Amino acid sequence: MATMTYLQAISSALRDELRADDRVLVMGEDIGVFGGAFKVTDGFFEEFGPDRVMDTPLAESAIIGTAIGAAVVGMRPVCEMQFSDFISCGFDQLVNVAAKMHYRQRLAVPITVRLPSGGGFSGGPFHSQNPEAWFMHSPGIKVVAPSTAEDAKGLLHAAIRDPNPVCFMEHKHLYRRIKGEVPEGIYETPMTARVARPGSDLVVIAYGAMVHVALDATEDLDGASVQVLDLRSLVPLDVDAILAAVRECSKVVILDEANETCAAGAQVAALIAEHGFEDLDGPVVRVATPDIPIPFSPPLEQAVLPSVDRVREACRELLAY
Amino acid sequence: MSSSPTETRAPGAAKLVDVTMPQMGVSVAEGTVVAWAKQIGDRVQADETICEISTDKIDTEVPSPVSGVVAEILVAVGTTVDVGVVLARVETAGAVSIASSPAGELAAATAATVIAPRPDAPAAPTPPAAPPPSDAPVYGVLPANGGPAPGRRYSPVVQRIAAEHDIDLSTIAGTGRGGRVRKQDVLARVAAAPEPPLHIESPYRPDPVPDSGQLSRMRRQIGAHMKHSLDTAAHCTSWIEVDMSRVQSERTLLGVTALPFVASAAIGALREYPQLNASLEGERYTQHAAVNLGIAVSLGEDGLIVPVIQRAHELSVEGLSARIRDLAQRARTRALTPDEVRGGTFTITNPGQYGTIMATPIINQPQVAILDLEAIVKRAVVVTDAAGNDAIAIRAMTILGLSWDHRALDGALAAQFLASMKRRLEGWAGA
Repeated sequence: MATMTYLQAISSALRDELRADDRVLVMGEDIGVFGGAFKVTDGFFEEFGPDRVMDTPLAESAIIGTAIGAAVVGMRPVCEMQFSDFISCGFDQLVNVAAKMHYRQRLAVPITVRLPSGGGFSGGPFHSQNPEAWFMHSPGIKVVAPSTAEDAKGLLHAAIRDPNPVCFMEHKHLYRRIKGEVPEGIYETPMTARVARPGSDLVVIAYGAMVHVALDATEDLDGASVQVLDLRSLVPLDVDAILAAVRECSKVVILDEANETCAAGAQVAALIAEHGFEDLDGPVVRVATPDIPIPFSPPLEQAVLPSVDRVREACRELLAY
Repeated sequence: MSSSPTETRAPGAAKLVDVTMPQMGVSVAEGTVVAWAKQIGDRVQADETICEISTDKIDTEVPSPVSGVVAEILVAVGTTVDVGVVLARVETAGAVSIASSPAGELAAATAATVIAPRPDAPAAPTPPAAPPPSDAPVYGVLPANGGPAPGRRYSPVVQRIAAEHDIDLSTIAGTGRGGRVRKQDVLARVAAAPEPPLHIESPYRPDPVPDSGQLSRMRRQIGAHMKHSLDTAAHCTSWIEVDMSRVQSERTLLGVTALPFVASAAIGALREYPQLNASLEGERYTQHAAVNLGIAVSLGEDGLIVPVIQRAHELSVEGLSARIRDLAQRARTRALTPDEVRGGTFTITNPGQYGTIMATPIINQPQVAILDLEAIVKRAVVVTDAAGNDAIAIRAMTILGLSWDHRALDGALAAQFLASMKRRLEGWAGA
């Protein structure tokens, strides 16, 4: 076991895969000589050389399209989007070409697209988004979103080894704030939910950075026993774990950092309404970012992102219901 | 069950109303009069017991369809007659029942004992088949207790728990917003009223020594069935030891006995090994898709009866618990209908409350296996942790016994079935 930051855990997974498997290569903007905008690939260029650590033009469509071609002939490319917001330029390659390749031609497309996402650091409307729901709505793509260093490494290993295109949502605001014990070597974290804290009066369902908001908000909530369920994977979504938590707690708060409409949490709420109805003892409550762009202004940004206080208040209201 | 009140017009204001052998479910064609509770000349109230009858399935009472005086008794004690045969006639004193209705209109005298017609329903003639009177068991109707009281609304989980535990929600003071009844409120009520012990026993206790004289009718029937089974089936019994620690903690949470958990595990194992959910009649072997689960219920010194949970595979542990309790209570009050004691595909017997640990149950013909749950006792057992280290721990253990018919299956299948049950019970992780 070693203690790593969330960012170091991601670097460690990439480095271990590059060492273990000749088919793995990484590509993206400024990830080679410069070591990446967030220094995830710092030192990779020196160790693995320009054929396996490729600097690309500022063209997301080309990055993903090239990766698809490489994957179809047997490589395992890992693409970095410098910010997840920029993936809109590569959207067609991802949702129309990569996602539907197996359906149309029975060809596997084992690419991993790393998407540094999320806000909380005054990045403004182009550098703070949580676009995971765009890809949840495109059958053929898996979407994972770790919240801890251990899961960041394990899920990245699982993503690279998965035969499907996988969007790996890595939360920028967790990069250096979150540290944790990480097992030695290569291990795969299953694409299932994780009980971050057990509890039986109410469950907060979250993923990514919001798991930490949920844990902080409910650590001491007037003595209530509050469960926190970390989804970890959005596609596939762990329906059994979600319904088990509903069965146990009967009261549910669903937390999204993404804009509220059609977010991942909306799908979770719909599942519960349909399949967990007889276990509910109150309305399914959602806390999410309102449907507006993320502001530059720090106080405005803090006002729109789900805060510890907002989550605590929502939980109190529902517990009293 | 009441008879069909068909009327015979007598001169004057008094009328004679027939009391007939009731139709008790679809499977019964005849019944035997066991005793007369009223004699000729006795006064009888509507719905008051007039005689007791016995069928090949159960014993029950026949209520009078009307208030009046017993005028005729037509069937002697011990006589067996077909359904619909007139057993007695009751003379209504016209003034008794007709006071509030148009004079001379006979329908009014019987309306109270037949289903009261809806005011807007067209007046129907008395149906030829026996209509269910108000106090009869009615199939497919759930108790209304789980429903919301006027002016109060309950969440789905609260309604479900209330229905499963037969709780009247209007009697609970809620602690939620605006006095709303929350899940914890109804769970507190469940915890406050632990269910009564079931007193379910196996058929294999030594028969109580009769004081003297002839065996009761029920004892004779049980004896004949058991001897027939032993003479018919090639009985073998297999046992397996099961760690019930997880079930014990789970059942304490739910406030139920271990029996529904074992029933649920048995249903799961039967679905995995459907060869045991079967009947063997002569050389005709039939596997059943549905699990209709028989539960042996002791009736004290009188004997026992095996009510059947129809389509038990569709029920959760809580649902099984509620059904077992309902059937056991009605078995003890002799309120089962014949259709509730037939159609079983597999049987469980549970005499564990006296501390016995093993038995060799006799198969309930024409089924091919029967499961025996005895006492759950704490024992010192060797457990192995994830690293392979052995240790001695205190665990709640039981021995499950399965008697099976060697004509229908072999021991390996019985062993696999028991191993499946062990795996399900030891790995219990919620229903």
